[in-house]
Amino acid sequence: MAVAENITMPDLEAAERAEARRRKVVSTAVPLGTAAALILLWQLGVKLFGVPTYVAPAPSDVAVAFVEKFDILLMNFWPTLMESVAGFAVGNIVAILIAVAFVHSRHVTMAFFPIAVFINTIPILAIAPILVLIFGPGITAKVVIAALICFFPTLVNMVRGLQAISPQALELSRILSASKSEVFWKMRLPASLPFLFSALKISATTSVIGAIVGEWVGADLGLGALIIDATFNFNSPLLYATVFMSSGLSVLMFALVTLAEKLIVRW
Amino acid sequence: MMEAKNSLQGQKVGAPDKALAASLTDATVRFGTFTAIDGLNLDIEEGAFYTILGPSGCGKSTMLRLVSDLIPAAAGDVSIFGKTTEQARLAREFAFVFQDATLLPWRSALKNVELPLEIGAKRGVDVPLGSRSPRELLELVGLKGREDALPHELSGGMRQRVAIARALVCQPKLLLMDEPFGALDEMTRDHLNLQLLDIWRETGTTILFVTHSIAEAVFLGQKVIMMRAHPGRLREVVDIDLPEPRTIKQRDQQEFTAYCGYLRDLLETC
Repeated sequence: MAVAENITMPDLEAAERAEARRRKVVSTAVPLGTAAALILLWQLGVKLFGVPTYVAPAPSDVAVAFVEKFDILLMNFWPTLMESVAGFAVGNIVAILIAVAFVHSRHVTMAFFPIAVFINTIPILAIAPILVLIFGPGITAKVVIAALICFFPTLVNMVRGLQAISPQALELSRILSASKSEVFWKMRLPASLPFLFSALKISATTSVIGAIVGEWVGADLGLGALIIDATFNFNSPLLYATVFMSSGLSVLMFALVTLAEKLIVRW
Repeated sequence: MMEAKNSLQGQKVGAPDKALAASLTDATVRFGTFTAIDGLNLDIEEGAFYTILGPSGCGKSTMLRLVSDLIPAAAGDVSIFGKTTEQARLAREFAFVFQDATLLPWRSALKNVELPLEIGAKRGVDVPLGSRSPRELLELVGLKGREDALPHELSGGMRQRVAIARALVCQPKLLLMDEPFGALDEMTRDHLNLQLLDIWRETGTTILFVTHSIAEAVFLGQKVIMMRAHPGRLREVVDIDLPEPRTIKQRDQQEFTAYCGYLRDLLETC
């Protein structure tokens, strides 16, 4: 009996592992297959009904544009990347610093929180022309717009994160006679990191939206400018390729933040 | 044993018999108009293990927070080893173990035990170094080999043992424990009770231990402080005269159950 068990046990484990592997393959294959099927359907639909390319290009046309115009796409990719990253950095750093000030002083919160809410309620599309008028057609306006769109979610999350330590942890800090700055660096700041990263994941993608909106209003270069350009020239395949490039940029930013979170927030 | 320790620490030379770890005189605590503790008079002898029992709302936890300078006395006086509670806190004379382990989740077990040594170090505060290193303390509480584990990788009992090691790192003369094992299962609780008694004997520290379990109070305590509610007052201090060292077996003996019965009756009148 015991011998028989010894023989069957590894087999069972192997079978279990094979089953787990199979499930993993299925869980990636199903969404990929669905996406491929939809693209195929789109291709067939466009070709079958003879839809003009400027109305809706076939995926094959988009692919061709993507390859042929890759140098143009890339040339417009870098400015948008720079604006997004700069806006992401500026907006989040300012939000974090203001959150720290809010947590330190009720008066500061009372004075500035309503203003922060008000700024957040202005649609970014409405404020973008104003900022372009103020900062001119250069990169600054786009960075400010991207920063503005990152600002609010990080502010709110960071304030919550800095207040997220338990009353008992505060009692512990008091018993250890910890100073305010020790409580901040050793307790509040680390405790806020999971909250901060949820906000950073949001702003990783919204900063790209901010940069593109800024480029719509006034720019010669950048994915936003290319979108406007391709639309007015009825160059739909290039337009679609640019849209994919923009979404690729967002995915890249999101992936980098997620990676940083995995490395930093290990608890 | 008690006298040897007194001369060692040079406390209360004038006191002929036993030095006092803590002394409460007419201590009163109010939260707004609510009186949580009303005129509490209590002397805590150095080196003894006290357990605190009482109905809910009797101010057990409040008393620990009063002694540890977390809340001020509205009236009366509290002294720790002859100092004010604030002086004692600044000198790290006492440590606190909460019901929840209150570990910092991003720090490893070892780093959590080291926390009290880091606080104040950069400000030039003279942080008292215990005779045992954080590593040795983790070994003392039976967590050798788990130094690098994060709190979420440890069981509830293990986390609480890390918290005890952290409390011991500055070698406190008074250890305040607020239902530290209240959330643990009975087996873990028994095990930790025995371990705590070992630690108490080895370190010679005074312990004030709040519990809501009569059996735990009798098993651990040399003296049981019974408090009564509304407002919180002292009911009686009961000496538990059971042979040392305590063993789990004692719990089935008649002496032990007699103490439990007496305390249960007392609790009903509180």
